[in-house]
Amino acid sequence: MRKLIEFRNIVKTFDNQVVLKGINLNVYENEFVTLLGPSGCGKSTLLRILGGFLQQDEGTIIFDGQCIDDVPAYKREINTVFQRYALFPHLDVFDNIAFGLRIKKVAEDVIDQKVTRMLSLVNLEGYEHRNVTLLSGGQQQRVAIARALVNEPEVLLLDEPLGALDLKLRQEMQRELKRIQQEVGITFIYVTHDQEEALTMSDKIVVMRDGEIQQVGTPLEIYNEPANEYVAKFIGESNIIEGVMVEDYKVKFDEKVFDCDDFGFKENEPVDVLIRPEDIKIVGRTGALMKGEVKSVLFKGVHYEIVVETISGASKTVTMHILSEHDTYNAEANEKIGANDFFVDLEDVDALDDFNLVARANAQAWDEEENDLSIANITHNIENKVGTYDCTFQTQKNTEITIKVHVVDPVYVEDAKKNIGISAFDFFVTAEEVKESMAISTDLKTWASAEAWNLQDDSEIEITDVKFDFDTAEIKEGSYEITFATQGREYKIETTTVHEEGDKVGLTFDRNDIHVMSKMVV
Amino acid sequence: MTYPYVVWLVLFVVIPMLMIVFYAFTNAGNDILFFKFTLENFTRFFQDADFLRVLYTSLKIAFLTTIICVLIGYPTAYVIAKQDENKQAIYILLLTLPMWINMLVRTYAWKGILMNFDVSSEFKVFVGMVYNFLPYMIIQIYTSLAKMDKNLLNAAYDLGANKMQTFLRVVLPLSIPGVISGITLVFLPAVSSFFIPKLLGGGDYVLIGNLIETYFITTGDWNFGSAISLIMAIIIIISMYFTKKIDKKIGEE
Amino acid sequence: MEKENKNLWSKLVPNIWLILIVLFFYLPIIYVVIFSFNSTKSLNHFTGFSLMWYEKMFNDRKMLEPIYYTVLVAVIATVVSTIIGTITSIGLSKQKKIVRELVLQVNDLPVMNPDIVTAIGLMLFFISLNIETSIFTLLIAHITFCTPFVVLSIMPKLRTLDDNVAEAALDLGATPFQALTKVIIPQIMPAIFSGALIAFSMSFDDFVISFFTTGTGVSNISIFVYSMSKRINPSINALSSLIVAVVTTVLVIANVIPMIKARRPQAEVVKKKSKLSFVPYLAGALALTIFLVSFGNKTTGDFDPIAEFGSDTLNVFNYGEYIGEGVIAGFEDMYNVKVNYDTFASNEEMYTKLMSGTSYDVIIASDYMIQKLIKDKLLQPLDKDKLTNLTDLYHDALQYMEFDSEMVYTVPYMWGTVGIIYDETLIDSEDVETLGWDVFKLEKYRGMAYFYDSERDAFMVALKSLGYSMNTKNEQELLEAYRWLIEMDNAIDPAYVTDEIIDGIINGEKALGYVYSGDAAYMLCENENLRFYEPHQGTNVWMDCMFIPKVAKSLELANVFINYMLSYDIAYANSEYIGYTSPNEDVLIALSSEDGEYYEIDAYVPRIGYENDEAFINDDYIRKIISEYWVKVKLN
Repeated sequence: MRKLIEFRNIVKTFDNQVVLKGINLNVYENEFVTLLGPSGCGKSTLLRILGGFLQQDEGTIIFDGQCIDDVPAYKREINTVFQRYALFPHLDVFDNIAFGLRIKKVAEDVIDQKVTRMLSLVNLEGYEHRNVTLLSGGQQQRVAIARALVNEPEVLLLDEPLGALDLKLRQEMQRELKRIQQEVGITFIYVTHDQEEALTMSDKIVVMRDGEIQQVGTPLEIYNEPANEYVAKFIGESNIIEGVMVEDYKVKFDEKVFDCDDFGFKENEPVDVLIRPEDIKIVGRTGALMKGEVKSVLFKGVHYEIVVETISGASKTVTMHILSEHDTYNAEANEKIGANDFFVDLEDVDALDDFNLVARANAQAWDEEENDLSIANITHNIENKVGTYDCTFQTQKNTEITIKVHVVDPVYVEDAKKNIGISAFDFFVTAEEVKESMAISTDLKTWASAEAWNLQDDSEIEITDVKFDFDTAEIKEGSYEITFATQGREYKIETTTVHEEGDKVGLTFDRNDIHVMSKMVV
Repeated sequence: MTYPYVVWLVLFVVIPMLMIVFYAFTNAGNDILFFKFTLENFTRFFQDADFLRVLYTSLKIAFLTTIICVLIGYPTAYVIAKQDENKQAIYILLLTLPMWINMLVRTYAWKGILMNFDVSSEFKVFVGMVYNFLPYMIIQIYTSLAKMDKNLLNAAYDLGANKMQTFLRVVLPLSIPGVISGITLVFLPAVSSFFIPKLLGGGDYVLIGNLIETYFITTGDWNFGSAISLIMAIIIIISMYFTKKIDKKIGEE
Repeated sequence: MEKENKNLWSKLVPNIWLILIVLFFYLPIIYVVIFSFNSTKSLNHFTGFSLMWYEKMFNDRKMLEPIYYTVLVAVIATVVSTIIGTITSIGLSKQKKIVRELVLQVNDLPVMNPDIVTAIGLMLFFISLNIETSIFTLLIAHITFCTPFVVLSIMPKLRTLDDNVAEAALDLGATPFQALTKVIIPQIMPAIFSGALIAFSMSFDDFVISFFTTGTGVSNISIFVYSMSKRINPSINALSSLIVAVVTTVLVIANVIPMIKARRPQAEVVKKKSKLSFVPYLAGALALTIFLVSFGNKTTGDFDPIAEFGSDTLNVFNYGEYIGEGVIAGFEDMYNVKVNYDTFASNEEMYTKLMSGTSYDVIIASDYMIQKLIKDKLLQPLDKDKLTNLTDLYHDALQYMEFDSEMVYTVPYMWGTVGIIYDETLIDSEDVETLGWDVFKLEKYRGMAYFYDSERDAFMVALKSLGYSMNTKNEQELLEAYRWLIEMDNAIDPAYVTDEIIDGIINGEKALGYVYSGDAAYMLCENENLRFYEPHQGTNVWMDCMFIPKVAKSLELANVFINYMLSYDIAYANSEYIGYTSPNEDVLIALSSEDGEYYEIDAYVPRIGYENDEAFINDDYIRKIISEYWVKVKLN
């Protein structure tokens, strides 16, 4: 196959930001090539440089054996379908399509033939004299394609042309575009951020990130053998786990060594391991490669998306004390005020300003119409020592309530292996508050001041799991246990068999489903 | 919410206009009670070659002013629109700054300069008019050029058009609405202007605006003055109508 | 290489063009600023650097008043029209299409109409309803033509608003009024602001509409410049330069601040806008208004004019440039009153303004016009008891005061004749002295002459030249006079001007013309080469007098003022400054004697008793005929 376009070391900088960091790429004739990447990765810029609308800062472009760096846009044998079509509003469909031919001074009867043929190619027969501004998105897009193709360019550039269309139309147009490309037999260079689109239409995908090419390959190659974590995450769903390449064909992760088909890494090199969700099977626990518990089940139509936790996260259990109602009622002013005792970490005492006190005690005041009143006055004798102190909340009309603040020096749970620290406190709360809670897990976390953090850099880790065993609607006075936990190791699995949350299952996969990737240089 | 303003409009816009019409069709010495409709004022105007010449001169100079404003204004707007955005803002600022200074003051300034040149009154008035109205034309054209989708230009290049072809086939047709509204903003005031000819042209250069002022202030013949005002107003309405039609027609194409 | 050259050229040409255009726009402005520092009166010869025009401007209260009124009216009109415009736009957007379209069409009228038509409409409106023109009529006029622009600015923005946002507000519990103030108005703020800006600039710039609708003593910058434009007055240049400076500063600041703000990185956290953040702006606007209002009303001193005379304001109407420097200010200071001093360019203009209902207390005008006013019973008799200075009049001149020989209604102010003025180095004295008025038909002086743009005087010249009475009622004679004028116009192609002739001939722009004797006296002082000649065919002897119209409001004060003007010192000051001949004998002698300003200026003491000289007699019918003829002569 003939090499049609060669990008050699293309560099482009905008406003002190390097947008293309040295692109080298070959495009062959009759290829459907897709430049794939998120916004800002440089794909559109590369396209516009090829079209001649931008000049690169370094590097050259060879087109059909000739350097075209100095050739202006209107002389290049390349045509573009723009993102928002850029149809000429003052010309009708026919004149829009005929524009390029008229510039070349092609005879009118020839123009007539070509335009008519183009219209039938894009399924817009009969639309010759329509007003382009009144056409639907899909129709406008087809006019834009016809306008470009009628000039019979060697290469057609398409800059995210399907972005403005809805899903069904987009999928239909994807098929259309592929068909046209194969029928007309020219090279398409297509830019998109939609990985599904890329997989559907392309002969070759070029994955880009931050001005650099991450990988070039067929859809199958990119999907099955992504070069790194970025490409893997970009295309398709994935489970990516950090591991170590013990030796060729053996990789270790999650404390186990697995047989795999990859080789060529250094001994004990840190790697990223990829296993596609559709490759993992849920089986019985005996003989399974991994064991775990089903955490969530989502019905996706085509399949279920099931999350299984094989290794649990760090956790901490505390006690919730349900108190009787102790709102204070002020008959004179017709106001009510309520607040709860609470525990506070010795370390956090200094940060206890008025705002925090109100929040921690869940102090609230209402008038007879249940309108919220503000807490005007707060007095307390809290010190920076372990102990129990008093704190009084008061409204403007002197409705008040006093609670106990317990300053404690708690013990954290530190899971050194997982590098996670987690803490939570016992707390007091009324049954009313539990019943009225609109998001019980979030409220429990707040009441217990539950936190988790990375032991090395102190960054916050989300507490994803809140386990408790009571009915929020029917709760009564007493003490209940609440367990807070971080995420742990989870695998996403796509399967057509149904499972339930809480099921204890086993996971298994083949050795060739494991794909080892080099760690990315950040 | 709109009623107060509607009342205001009726009082201070509609009724005054009706009064002009009333005076135009009646004769001096008419009471509100005993008026007599007559076309005398109009016949007096149209049957007099001198007045018709005034009308002709006013239209001629307004027309010339408009054309020159387009010929000068379009390239200027075009050049500005092609600059970087920051520069564009500065140029527009430079252009609009004189507009904030009273028209009288600006016209008076030309009086001094033109004294040094031995040119006809008509030319002096012409310069004064172009000077006063050119900024409006430039800004109208500039706005419509600046609003143009840059991608349309890229599309044209992409399809093989060079810069000149792109200009003629894409930029120019799409900027016509701006030109049309610029024409409106120039022709109207030019045709009805009275202090520019008075200040720069000397007593013998008379345009319709001057005629109206003379008959109202100096002669005190309000009926005739109103008739002339009405004639001018009608001319303007007709030309507005035509420009709107052309605008629509181009829009439909 | 070729490409490089082409690129250079294509970059250079547009920039050169832009620079030329910018120069074109700023040329007159720069010219005005330069000449505002000129040490002489010339508008086209720069002789030296001086700040005198600025000094004059700041010392002349009358010059700063127009600025005050312009800004005051602009601010009020802008505020009112913005509020009305906003409320109306919002209301309109909710109306049915038919109603909306109709209102918008009417709204378009003031925008589409040429301003002179709008001006005339409003003037007719006020006159017909007997509403006296004042600052209020001016404001009404401004609001009328400003509001449509505000509406036009806001309507399109309203149309593009997302309905959902207002609905979201209602959904969240806002009342319709709250939705309006908290959601809709903030969104259209830019359009409101730009509408207000347009309204302000239209009001600030307006001339025509203000000219026709303003009342006594209230003029704006444009009207002021217009009224001063007849004579060369470089103070206008100073005023203009001041305006240029202010406008430039304001605009630069207004545009540079957003640019600087845009450069600074956006704050990550949106600072909470305090509810009271608009207070400083409001306070500023309020302070400005209070300052402006109080500035306009400053009077000092203990003397209470109201107690003495029943009024503290006097409205005076006079020819332009027809009073001594400081005379008005002197009167104001002496009696602790405010004088609204308006000027007119012709008696006809004065008459129209008087007829349109504007009330004046003292008017100075010419004999024939006074005849008409007396006949129409529009004048008040003077209070002779107050006029203690009425003595020592030059009796020979009084013979021309037949219209009011007992001085019941009027007292003389200035008098004189009309004569030919010429530069003897360019015009042959013999031609002038032998031909008299016919010198204006000499083709050899083509292009060198002015002709006064006054129908009355023009016909006087023609009739006298033909040997007829200038008061003739014979239509055949008038036709001949018309033809004489056409011939004159064809032969000598004069420039038709009014007061421009004075500085024009002094500066040598042209060499021949005819002027009032008083102007000639001034001109002869300024240019040694000039000569004045009263033709043998006869000329017009005229008398300008002071009088009180029936519509005067401050009667007592009016008489006091006339008396003040009759006093020796003031009569002297007036006559000396403007060059016209005083009817006060002592003043006349003093100024024409050896120590006087006009010693040996023959124009200062005009010809008396020549049999061919006549005073004008007013005749309305003839006046209309002459008026029509004159328009046609000029059109020729």
